[in-house]
Amino acid sequence: MRRTSKGDPSGATGPYPLLAADRRLASDRDLKGLILKHYLGAYKAKGLLGRKPVAWVTSGAPVEILLALDILPVYPENYGALIGSRKAAVAYCEEAERAGYSQDLCSYARTNIGSMLTGRGELGGRPLPRPDLLVAAKNICGVVVKWWEVTARHFGCPLFIVDTPFAADGLTSAQVAYVRGQLEELIVFASRAIHRPPPSREAFEGRLLGVLELTRQATALWQDIQVLRQASPTPASALDMFTNLFPIVTLRGSALCVEYYRKVRAELAERVGQGLGAVDGERFRLIWDNIAIWYDFDLVRYLHARGAAFVGETYTDAWGVYQYRPEDAADPLEAMARLYSQVLLNVGLEVRKERLFRMVRAQRAHGVVFHSCRSCKTYSLGQYDLSRAVRDELGLPTLVIEADMTDSRAFSAGPTKTRLDAFLELLAAGSAPASPNLA
Amino acid sequence: MTENDHRASLARLVAASRDPLAAGGAGVSTGSGPASASSPPAARLGRRPVVGYVCSYVPEEIILAAGCHPLRLGARPGPTGPVDSCLQSFACSFARGLLDGLLSGQGRGLGGVVFAHTCDSLRAALESWKARKPAGSFTHFLNLPACVEGPGAAEYTASEFGRLAEALPAVEGARPVTAQALTEAAELMTVLRRELSRLDVLRSDRPDLLKGSQLLAIARGAATLDREEATDLVRGVADGLMGPATAAGPAARPRRPRILVSGGFLETEEPLRLVEEAGADVVGDDLCLAGRALAFSGAGHGAGRERSPAADVPALLSALSQAYLSRVPCPTKHPPSRRLEFLLAEVKSRQVDGVIFLLQKFCDPHAFDYPAFREALEASGRPCLSLEIERGGLPAGQAGTRVEAFLERLRFVGPSADGGGGRP
Repeated sequence: MRRTSKGDPSGATGPYPLLAADRRLASDRDLKGLILKHYLGAYKAKGLLGRKPVAWVTSGAPVEILLALDILPVYPENYGALIGSRKAAVAYCEEAERAGYSQDLCSYARTNIGSMLTGRGELGGRPLPRPDLLVAAKNICGVVVKWWEVTARHFGCPLFIVDTPFAADGLTSAQVAYVRGQLEELIVFASRAIHRPPPSREAFEGRLLGVLELTRQATALWQDIQVLRQASPTPASALDMFTNLFPIVTLRGSALCVEYYRKVRAELAERVGQGLGAVDGERFRLIWDNIAIWYDFDLVRYLHARGAAFVGETYTDAWGVYQYRPEDAADPLEAMARLYSQVLLNVGLEVRKERLFRMVRAQRAHGVVFHSCRSCKTYSLGQYDLSRAVRDELGLPTLVIEADMTDSRAFSAGPTKTRLDAFLELLAAGSAPASPNLA
Repeated sequence: MTENDHRASLARLVAASRDPLAAGGAGVSTGSGPASASSPPAARLGRRPVVGYVCSYVPEEIILAAGCHPLRLGARPGPTGPVDSCLQSFACSFARGLLDGLLSGQGRGLGGVVFAHTCDSLRAALESWKARKPAGSFTHFLNLPACVEGPGAAEYTASEFGRLAEALPAVEGARPVTAQALTEAAELMTVLRRELSRLDVLRSDRPDLLKGSQLLAIARGAATLDREEATDLVRGVADGLMGPATAAGPAARPRRPRILVSGGFLETEEPLRLVEEAGADVVGDDLCLAGRALAFSGAGHGAGRERSPAADVPALLSALSQAYLSRVPCPTKHPPSRRLEFLLAEVKSRQVDGVIFLLQKFCDPHAFDYPAFREALEASGRPCLSLEIERGGLPAGQAGTRVEAFLERLRFVGPSADGGGGRP
């Protein structure tokens, strides 16, 4: 059952001649419902009877503030991933390029700009619902600032940029104060944008703490899930995690998110109890670095078919950062300023290395696959150093794949498969499963 | 000053622009690097440590006040070397070239390097440099805001300027920043920028006397040499060119299209020269090193204007940060609306016929702004051309053909409705 080949049973042709079928989680069914509900909710909010304001936000935006103001956040990056996973991004990118946006720009941005300019989309043919306000946080990259500026100009919509200084190896008190002050201002800005008076501090903080508690619970569950993946065989591989990322990104701060991850955690715990792995005959345990290649999950299935499972991804692990503590209730905005400023893409290479090494050790990985993603400079630049560090300091093999998360024109499956084969041979040759230097 | 004097001043500035690290770096540093054979006399620099910096938002005033010599660093033109093992090819070509130069040993004479927040690629170059720089060498990141008009940005910028002032004395041979030194440095830079601004006006009014490519070379030379010497040289060039012997009247020559160039940092003035050799005048620019570096809008050209007898270092740094924040907009710091407003005003006041965007390959901030700018400029009657700069230059042949075709278009269209091309 698990050794199948899509479209060619002989497995003799095509870039991926032998693919593993997905062993889907039962919770996937709920996930599809959640995604549908989220986007339908956004369309409904802007429909004829809609009353709820919609904000377009970046994935690293301090969304809890908007939720506490009863504003519905919509994530164009997630929408870009959705279009990418439907292998439909290139047409939108080309529309943006025709309008003058360079093909070298982020493909999430080009996909969304193409959808925005044409008024077409991949959810029933519609683009994302029109925003009432825009919030971009620079903590994931400088690109989102420029992308959101383009969006603001297109819609004539108010834009707030949360400027998080680069936290190379920590933050100064002035930097925390700077971000905290902006969060204060965001409350006023967002209230004005939706034509409401700014809330009283007491009432707002009460609501904010409630939302932050839900974020904390979801984050804790997400971390539990990553810990369960330490089991051999691992109960969930990259495909499960890339898709299960949706709630922690787009529903963070909601009860739905917490409820969903409780189910996922229970299912993974059950799999671990049964010794059931995501991949049959798990031989190699790998870490994935960077965003998924949304249009080509067959690449991962190809590895699965050869006994290689992903036991961790820096991309999914990054969402475990929102660990609010009880004492943060005294000044929740300061806690938010600190956490949102120290997300994975806003810290220095040394900190990224420490986090990667910690994950390699905790998940008992045998190697690391780096997706050098042409679109994402903050994630990709520095990978050569990280790859060398894994090889030299941990003694583990690494592979760097050149691709893009949504623009398939930047990816060549055939040569990548050849490199995967060489990497698997390296793993089989003895580097794995001894995992030297992991103590 | 005789005509020969101003020609000698011009030659000195242009020569310094050719090899900034040799002219401004080696030979004057307390660092261990060998002096270049082409190094200039270092009489005025003495043995001051040379601090290289990466972005025009790094305040030279603070580096000067710390007893150091500020040197604007550029990218190493030509084929790439060690950077290929550090940063992928899709990092901005300027960031790659800059890191390549530092890793190739061109910065051995530097006493330190100051980076500033600009973009994702330069941040990656900083991280890569930190991992490879010589042990103990000084590197500072000026963690500037990405949105200088945002809430709290002014206070935050002042605090970052303060951090730089506190950090610089760690450079070997540097001294603590005092109010007096800061005031003197600000006054010096104000005068230098004023002299450069005279040349900026001249290249717009009389491009037959001073070409845009020459101004870029002069600006680079001034960001390389001792600032007092640079001020004298720039003043000499300006006085000479504006003197009665040379500026008697407009030269009789056929009308040439008037061009404004927009983009980031240019490693050489070659792209501008290509435009000029194709038959146009570069009468204005929106570039890191020339237009944006010398055009400080608002009241202050630096802390010198804002000082009072009792001003202390924090007050001076606060005034200095205000001056930097209020200057000509940059795509990594300002919303595109402000940049566009500035560009539209520039093309009108300089009677520009067309705009050429010189965009560094893989430069995100400029590339995002470009489509809307092109649309607005074309709507104002100024055709636009976009060319990609990579490794310091334009692709030979192809770029020349495109520029020639663009100039043909401008000649066909004629001067813009609001007065573009009205000059002889």
